[in-house]
Amino acid sequence: MRIGNHPILTFVRAEKVNFLYDGKEVFGYKGDTIAAALHALGIYTYSHSPVNQNPRGIFCAIGHCSSCLMTVNNVPNVRICITEIEEGMTVESQDKRGVLHVQD
Amino acid sequence: MFKTDVLVIGGGPAGISAALSVAKFGLKVTILEEREFLGGQLIKQTHRFFGSREEHAGVRGISIVKELKENLSANDNIDVLLGATAMGIYEDGTVTMLYKGEVRKIIPKKTIIATGAFEKYLPFENNDIPGIFGAGAVQTLMNIYGVIPAEKVLMIGSGNIGLIVSYQLVQSGVNVQAVVEAAPNIGGYLVHASKLRRQGIPIKTSYTIKRAIGKEHVEGAEIVRLDENWNEIPGTEEIIECDSICLAVGLSPLYDLLSHSGCEMKYIPELGGNVPLRNENLETSVNGLYVAGDVAGIEEATAAMLEGELAGLDVVSKLIGNEEIQNEIITVKKALNSLRAGPTGIKIRNGISKLMNMETEKESIKNNMTDLSHLKKNGTPDTVNIESKLPDDSVLLKGGKAIIECYQGIPCDPCMHSCPFGAIIKFEDINDIPKIDFNKCTGCGICINNCPGLAIFVINKDHTDATSTVKMPYEFLPKPEKGSEVDVLNREGIKICDGKVIQILDGPKQDKTSVVTVEVPKAYYGEARNIRVVACDE
Amino acid sequence: MNDDKIIICRCEDVTLKEIRDIIAEGYTTIEEVKRIARTGMGPCQGKTCSQIIAREICRATGKKMEDLKYPEYRPPFGGVLFDEIIKGDPDEE
Repeated sequence: MRIGNHPILTFVRAEKVNFLYDGKEVFGYKGDTIAAALHALGIYTYSHSPVNQNPRGIFCAIGHCSSCLMTVNNVPNVRICITEIEEGMTVESQDKRGVLHVQD
Repeated sequence: MFKTDVLVIGGGPAGISAALSVAKFGLKVTILEEREFLGGQLIKQTHRFFGSREEHAGVRGISIVKELKENLSANDNIDVLLGATAMGIYEDGTVTMLYKGEVRKIIPKKTIIATGAFEKYLPFENNDIPGIFGAGAVQTLMNIYGVIPAEKVLMIGSGNIGLIVSYQLVQSGVNVQAVVEAAPNIGGYLVHASKLRRQGIPIKTSYTIKRAIGKEHVEGAEIVRLDENWNEIPGTEEIIECDSICLAVGLSPLYDLLSHSGCEMKYIPELGGNVPLRNENLETSVNGLYVAGDVAGIEEATAAMLEGELAGLDVVSKLIGNEEIQNEIITVKKALNSLRAGPTGIKIRNGISKLMNMETEKESIKNNMTDLSHLKKNGTPDTVNIESKLPDDSVLLKGGKAIIECYQGIPCDPCMHSCPFGAIIKFEDINDIPKIDFNKCTGCGICINNCPGLAIFVINKDHTDATSTVKMPYEFLPKPEKGSEVDVLNREGIKICDGKVIQILDGPKQDKTSVVTVEVPKAYYGEARNIRVVACDE
Repeated sequence: MNDDKIIICRCEDVTLKEIRDIIAEGYTTIEEVKRIARTGMGPCQGKTCSQIIAREICRATGKKMEDLKYPEYRPPFGGVLFDEIIKGDPDEE
């Protein structure tokens, strides 16, 4: 959910950006990080931990704790809290360390 | 690879201030900023800053960033690279960076590292499920992206960050169930704590979180009381209903690049963890490598800006030294010392003393003449505190008078500067507690929205035979309508009576701190300190 | 305290119990714990776990936090793709 009116800040949501989350069409606004867009849509679990497969989401949201890793455009272990959404981007939940796509 | 005179790594308040201070003298500066925007943590700070007028006191953090960015663009000597991550520093001073998908080398003459800090973590049962955030994360979601972080938050930690973020959560429409603090006293500024208490938010000192409840996501939390030895007291467990747990348990310097450089480091708990050894002008043990801001030791944005300026000036003095620069260096160091000189600065002073192998101070039990023990435990003043601010009745019957409910010596003086009648007695030191000359006070209320702690109220005891008025700051939505009935709350956020809004000032001069005048039955002028707008039934 | 339900190293899923067991075996430096449990080797490079591990070592051994040595960091900071390194510096030959 997004904040509507705020006593101090004004949020400008000018341009919608469509992207894919686990194959589903979702959206955010230009300037959003993937984490912000997904959180706004009520999606809070982004991956499962390497050993115990525990659900993991955001912790620090500024790229230091690596809790929020997902596979973005086939690249695994991307910190979605500092990666901005782009039109047509594919964002996928990853298990453990994700899968490395090696080009032939 | 490319060359530059001065490389600044980090585009937050420290980095920007460093760059401005260098570029002023005609040297070429390059700023590397990892994100796509400048401002660091400052762009999330919607509250008004403390400190002195020269250091933007009374101005909202977001407005300070605006000004800094305008100064940056006005200067042709500064090159800002956004989305540029500094990857490594090598023995010869070469810095590698990842920029636009390419790894490039930079050869600077001097480097200033202003990479800030990261959030500390806390061990408790089930501590890694979604919904557990660092306090900064919640601030990022709310204040940068306008995303509601949660519905009900439990805040762990009552330092300034925990208190400020809790207040900002309420401004975003989120319920803060409680602030939990393991220590026996509130850690942050007491005016921040009082703001939360007026909202009815409990601050539970000597409590810690035992476990997070929930499997896929936070559904609640179990907290427990601690004894004087920090041990859990069995049987004191409480369940708090929440869908998010925020950890505001401290920051640590982000020192990876410093480690690459081989500069000497030391673990200083007062400064947040591992910090570089540095001289008085912020040069590390590696020649030409400087630090500024939180990476030099956890403090806050005003100190970060001053440190950035100081490091920048010393860099310039080494490259093109002159008399003028030495004088400027002395001025900036004086401002930093003044900021750190008060009772609340003891932690940073001791941290720096330890780093410099100097004697540390003992915390004084008596904090000037005021007994702050009730405030430090509860966030609210006791009767003695309250009475110390109220003048006699005869004075209160002479029209509106400002009552400044600020009891703690903190580095802050915008109230004094804001009074057009000189009614707030001139401070001798920036950490002085404000005192009012009631003969000069006209009750105009200009000070109300200039106080960063929102601690000033104007009381007119004799508005009518039966009623008094209280003018108060208000920064929430919905704003009350003039003429409307509101719930009037006391310092603990409990409703004490009904009130009527007879005036609301919300113009450009108020800068989003509305000044609301509420009429209350005369008996309540001493207790009425907040309002709750009653929802309209349509 | 159920220390097997407390995560210390998020990157490698290491619990407080595992850390305490390793320290009890006699490994009392952050570096040793890192080599055995992989704490500090994940993407966050020890930001989440190091200070908590340090505190546990101090608790068990009586050492002071100020006296513990922390593992060193080496470039690169942050993630970088091989592709980005191989491309080379466009400013150079």
